[in-house]
Amino acid sequence: MLKKTASYIGIPLFYLFLYLPISVLLLFSFNSEGFPSPWKGFTLKWYEELFRSPFLWEAFGNSLIVASFSTFICLSLGLFLIYYATQGGKVKRFLLLFYGNLVIPETVLGVSLLGFFSFFSIPLGLITLIFAHTVLGLGVTLPILYARYEELDLKLTEASSVLGATPVQTFFKVTLPLMFPTAITTALLVFILSFDDFVLSYFCAGSTAQTLSLYILSMIRSGISPVINALSAILLTLSSLLVLTFFSIKTRKRIL
Amino acid sequence: MNIKESRWLPPLPFFFGSPVLLWQLFFFYLPLLLLTLSSILTFSPLGNFEGLTLDRLLLFLQPVYAKVILSSLLLALSNALICFFIGYPIAYFLAFKAKKMKPLFLFFLIVPFWINFLLHVYAWFFVLEKEGFLNWLLLSLGIMDQPIPFLNSLFAILLMMVYYYLPFMILPLYSSLEQFNIQLIEASQDLGAKGWQTLLYILLPLSKGGIMAGFFLVFIPSFGEFAIPELMGGDKWLFVGNVVSQYILSETEGALGAAFTLVSALALLLAALLLYKGLNFLLKPKGEHA
Repeated sequence: MLKKTASYIGIPLFYLFLYLPISVLLLFSFNSEGFPSPWKGFTLKWYEELFRSPFLWEAFGNSLIVASFSTFICLSLGLFLIYYATQGGKVKRFLLLFYGNLVIPETVLGVSLLGFFSFFSIPLGLITLIFAHTVLGLGVTLPILYARYEELDLKLTEASSVLGATPVQTFFKVTLPLMFPTAITTALLVFILSFDDFVLSYFCAGSTAQTLSLYILSMIRSGISPVINALSAILLTLSSLLVLTFFSIKTRKRIL
Repeated sequence: MNIKESRWLPPLPFFFGSPVLLWQLFFFYLPLLLLTLSSILTFSPLGNFEGLTLDRLLLFLQPVYAKVILSSLLLALSNALICFFIGYPIAYFLAFKAKKMKPLFLFFLIVPFWINFLLHVYAWFFVLEKEGFLNWLLLSLGIMDQPIPFLNSLFAILLMMVYYYLPFMILPLYSSLEQFNIQLIEASQDLGAKGWQTLLYILLPLSKGGIMAGFFLVFIPSFGEFAIPELMGGDKWLFVGNVVSQYILSETEGALGAAFTLVSALALLLAALLLYKGLNFLLKPKGEHA
């Protein structure tokens, strides 16, 4: 009985804690007066101001480019490795090499990559950001892809080669379609990791390339403005849509 | 070509396995090696190699720096512990009690997880500001007559850390509890165990994997955190991340920054090992008591 009431109070309290700041933020993105004022009336002017800001669109575009390219690279490299596994490559032991990517604090990774880029005099910018984010992305891509590959029924690929398909045909017509849902959810995960990443971007972006995270940081540093509230509302909608997609593909139980 | 033949072929397409390995070697291990080298090698102003030195590393064992590292470790540990004590009941609820509503609860747990990290910081900023939502609420309800400066305090830093890192604790706990055989709990209750005994001797030891994963997913990134202390703590408290970012952005102190990063990474490694041993000891199945 005690336990029941505890969960009736505790769980709503937890979700309130989770959503209170976000909801307040969203509500005040429609407030007609600027920050230190209480609720005055409904307006969309902060959204208009947001959409007129050229910096926002540039930062948004940069984040999209970086996230798309790093997702593409991670997924291609990962699938190459899976192809190698289908050809009898012993992939399992390689995976150990990639555990570090997620375990190492991003600050340490960011500093080492910065040193690396300056050592080889690679100018900081979108390219270096893409490199940095792939390192992070590979840490999630490979374990997930390989776990799915291990679940596959090998009889199917054997059947395909018995029936005369070349290894490449088997890979594209049998293995890849079977792995497709996992590949998509992995891509979503890598995309969002890169899109939302702050620490690596902070170290590896240099002074010219601004991502959305860095843009938000500079906005926060210059003080509270309802324009950021409007931006949060839009990003919240976008990420809810992404999570919905993720969920509908992965109706199974495992989330991470 | 039959199957045997195709199995017989040497794993020729190592070519396909190699890109990802090269990538990893080049963009992960080489930078770490460079970080280590640049903190122990010295060069003349012209860039000629001069020799090895441990001076830069030893510099950071001074109390001033050691204090920064220790306070980061403490912050990370308290964050992990608070997340665990809040997160475990939530994960338990999700795994065993949520039933049909589970996808809904999970969905609402994950949505905020996928929003830009800085927007979370901004949201709390907005709530905790002196003229922010919480003070406005408390003042207009007549609970207080003076606004409380919530920001720029250790409380604000820790609140923000717990808020952001909670899902990192809950999700691994949830996935390990989800595979848990609930009949074990029933069996323990049937045999007369009290609630806390079931928790201590059955539930916790058998969800060790999830607890470990959760602790490390929270402990390690919060060690290097620098945006939260800077934005919520107003630069009043220095943690490893802040010192590193100051060194790195100053450009002339690059080698010192590398050395400090290396020293704190080593300290973190040591602390993580201790944490691992400690958790292992605490969560050991206590067969003799049962």
